Amino acid sequence: MNLQPDDFWTFSEWLFRPGAFLESAFLQGVVLIVLSIVLGLLVGYVISAARYGPGEGFYAVARAIRDLLRTDLPGTSPSRIVALARLAFKEAIRRRVLFVVGLFVVILLLAGWFLNPESDDPARLYISFVLTATNYLVLALALFISAFSLPQDIENRTIFTIVTKPVRATEIVLGRMLGFVAVGTVMLVPMGLASYIFVDRGLDHTHYEVVQADEIDGRIVGKTDRVRRHSHTFTIEPGETQGLTNFVRGHRHVVTRNEDGSFTIGPPTGQLRARIPAYGEIQFYDRNGDPKETGIDVGAERLAGGYGSAGISRLIGVAKGNRKLEHSYVEGGTLGMAEFTFDNVTRQRFPDKIPFDLSIRAYRSFKGDIESGIRGSLTFKNPDTGFSLTPKQFTVEEYQIDERELPLTFEWLNKETGEVETRNIFDHVVTEDGRMQVLLKCLDSSQYLGVTKSGLYLRPAESSFAWNLTKAYASIWLQMTMIIAFGVMFSTFLSGPVAMVATAVCVLLGFSAESIYDTRHFIDSNIERGGGPIESLVRLVKQDAMTTQLDVEGVANTLIKSADAVIVYTMDAVATALPNLPRMVSTAEYAASGIDIFNAVLARHSVATLGYCLLAFLISYFFLKAREIAA
Amino acid sequence: MDTDSTAVADSADENTPAGAATAAASSSATSSDVVIETRNLSKIYKDFWGRKKVHALKSLDIEVRKGEIFGLLGPNGSGKSTTIKLILGLLFPTSGRVLVFDKDATETKKNEQIGYLPEESYLYQFLNAEETLDFYGRLFDMSGRQRKQRVEELLTLVGLQGARHRQLREYSKGMRRRVGLAQALINDPDLILLDEPTTGLDPIGIREMKDLILALRDQGKTVLLCSHQLGDVQDVCDRVAILHQGELKELGRVTDLLKVQDVTEVHASGLSEDAKNEIRDVIARHGGDLKAMDNPTATMEDLFLNIVRESEARPGARRVSAPAPDGASDQSADSQADQGSQSGSDQS
Repeated sequence: MNLQPDDFWTFSEWLFRPGAFLESAFLQGVVLIVLSIVLGLLVGYVISAARYGPGEGFYAVARAIRDLLRTDLPGTSPSRIVALARLAFKEAIRRRVLFVVGLFVVILLLAGWFLNPESDDPARLYISFVLTATNYLVLALALFISAFSLPQDIENRTIFTIVTKPVRATEIVLGRMLGFVAVGTVMLVPMGLASYIFVDRGLDHTHYEVVQADEIDGRIVGKTDRVRRHSHTFTIEPGETQGLTNFVRGHRHVVTRNEDGSFTIGPPTGQLRARIPAYGEIQFYDRNGDPKETGIDVGAERLAGGYGSAGISRLIGVAKGNRKLEHSYVEGGTLGMAEFTFDNVTRQRFPDKIPFDLSIRAYRSFKGDIESGIRGSLTFKNPDTGFSLTPKQFTVEEYQIDERELPLTFEWLNKETGEVETRNIFDHVVTEDGRMQVLLKCLDSSQYLGVTKSGLYLRPAESSFAWNLTKAYASIWLQMTMIIAFGVMFSTFLSGPVAMVATAVCVLLGFSAESIYDTRHFIDSNIERGGGPIESLVRLVKQDAMTTQLDVEGVANTLIKSADAVIVYTMDAVATALPNLPRMVSTAEYAASGIDIFNAVLARHSVATLGYCLLAFLISYFFLKAREIAA
Repeated sequence: MDTDSTAVADSADENTPAGAATAAASSSATSSDVVIETRNLSKIYKDFWGRKKVHALKSLDIEVRKGEIFGLLGPNGSGKSTTIKLILGLLFPTSGRVLVFDKDATETKKNEQIGYLPEESYLYQFLNAEETLDFYGRLFDMSGRQRKQRVEELLTLVGLQGARHRQLREYSKGMRRRVGLAQALINDPDLILLDEPTTGLDPIGIREMKDLILALRDQGKTVLLCSHQLGDVQDVCDRVAILHQGELKELGRVTDLLKVQDVTEVHASGLSEDAKNEIRDVIARHGGDLKAMDNPTATMEDLFLNIVRESEARPGARRVSAPAPDGASDQSADSQADQGSQSGSDQS
């Protein structure tokens, strides 16, 4: 999984963006709230002016704000909210929405036929499947239950018996939102459990026998049978009865030698992971050994993307260009390398060994030796003294996480005495303040190794997979909450189906925000990439490629381009105001890659959700308050 | 049924307002505190584009005083429901004001003292009676114990103890109406607004509803009801306002409005045929014009209620009516009750 720069931000870095405040989420939130207040006052005034006349309209708006602050907010009673939430909950339950959980179980049952446990990375396949299925199912459900409830209540006039009680608009809105969130929560819990069981059981398999076992100097070296298109080799050390197999497709087994000489092979372990990585800073060096900001670019992936993290500064045109982090490549057989500097490497964090993972890509400029992969080397180095260990050679394993470890001791030839001494890593390779460098080089000349900052990391700790899955579900829960808030908001002034469509449009715009940003970027920087919607349509009809100049002359061209600019800039503004749902969905990628979802990422999503819910709540309040319920 | 009493009257309807009603009405007349006040209240329904569709209410000025039963009367579409919705703040006036307990009708706070029974009982079909009342009790921030007690009282009051655990979707129209009434009373309100309170009820229900309305008034509560069932209004209301096409046509005390000034009504029992003739002579001698002299007709309502009560006392037996002692009267046919009498809705 390729992390983007903003993935590494801590919570406060995300919120305030020290040094680049224009990009900060805080500013974006404040601008959004101020804009909606201004817009709300304007719309409110226009509506009340139409209803009561220009003078009286002003007082009506002032009264609405006074009511909110003086009576409705302080008078909001938690117990009434709970009562209304319970009602919304019961309504949804008695409409049998829990059938969706049944539907999910059926999907899982059928998925067993189609998900191939013999694939290269079955854990990723299974985990991303269950999370994606849950995500879209729950979002669709949230859309349905939230958008239809209030309009139906108004249509059935059941709301008459509610609003003629001392119930405030704040309570109706909050009650609805909380009730539906409770419904969603009640559904997510069994779905999460089912997912866990499905993944856990789906990946389970046993090798039945040892097909080959040779005893060499008391050490038993053997091979298991092929199950699910793979087999393992294992070693049992002399005097031991148990040994481990090698890692194949992300898992290994324990092999036990029984007293009668037969072998028992245990269940798979290690495929459901939640690694807690410790990333370092990366520095590239070109083929002459000069420091460079990036390595070699081997493709056009970096043309666009990643703008979402720039916030307001992109919208107003301060931040330009893409911010997407793609793999940078190191040329083989030259002085080119990638230098990772890790800090906080201490004896406390790494008491036994220093585990580290490699997630590296290879780029071949010629086919090379087809039997062996591209080779690279790792050199562990003390950044202060320059002392380094003998480079460790490795063969690149692409598209998977290559788990390795560095023992805490190494053998060192004392040149003065001529003796081999055992020395400790922390005394020589790690500086006093806990820094250590790793140099990554490619050994095959004219071949390239690609890395990003997340390509090599130390792994001081491990979290449990169950907890990581819970965090992934929490992220789904947050998305659901956000959609419920939007659905309830739209349903305070639109009819059920229209409210649902409006919410769905918001969700779709949120999901396609990056594409909209891309389109704007292309328009801004005059890059021919198909242009805006009208230009695209023209190209579609004329069957023109998207990278050519638009084959329309004169006024028509100007007209098309300016209309497109207006549309794209409007969509850009709207998309910037909407929650960044793809970012929230992408937490599933962490879980599928076996990396512990960063708490900072989850905290960011939580705060963003809270902010949007607050905004939706305020908008809902004013619309409901201004609405003639019986009209 | 007092078949041996004789009535001299011009009116076909014999339902006299209960004595209590008159007493309470006179006490409310002395009290001046106004519970509902509408000032120049108008409502125009507009379509989406702001074009005028209906002028539903035109400059309505009424006052409802504490402790009285006030009736809004009028044909369909006369603005009764619009008035009630304006009073509740469900609609906003196009011009004019509504004050309820001296507060603007759109204020939420006033609802703490109000009970409202909507035109049809718009209740959540997926709840049962107990849950419904409990839910509405929660909306008043009532404590758990208070709610439990109140729900119990109200279920007994409207006679739904047996059906408390059934979802409202299974209820008959009358039962829903009762739950609707119970929810309107959950907060022991001072002002009760009833929109068509008797529709959908059977004769017993109607009678119970009317008795209940009177009982509420006797507890010092104010009741505003709107109806096109004239009989109901006449039976219970102290004052009525008659609306037609959004305009107030008549406003005043029921007793005053209905009093026919130059007709005298005499009720007497135990008169012989001779005595009756003598009375006829007396009237003739004084130059009076005898409009009717007859045995009074009992209402279908009385008949029906008697049958049901008797049937409850002695189940199974078909009621055999006693032959009327006065063979000259053709009214006795009425007392031949049969199973068909359940269709007897009293006023329609």
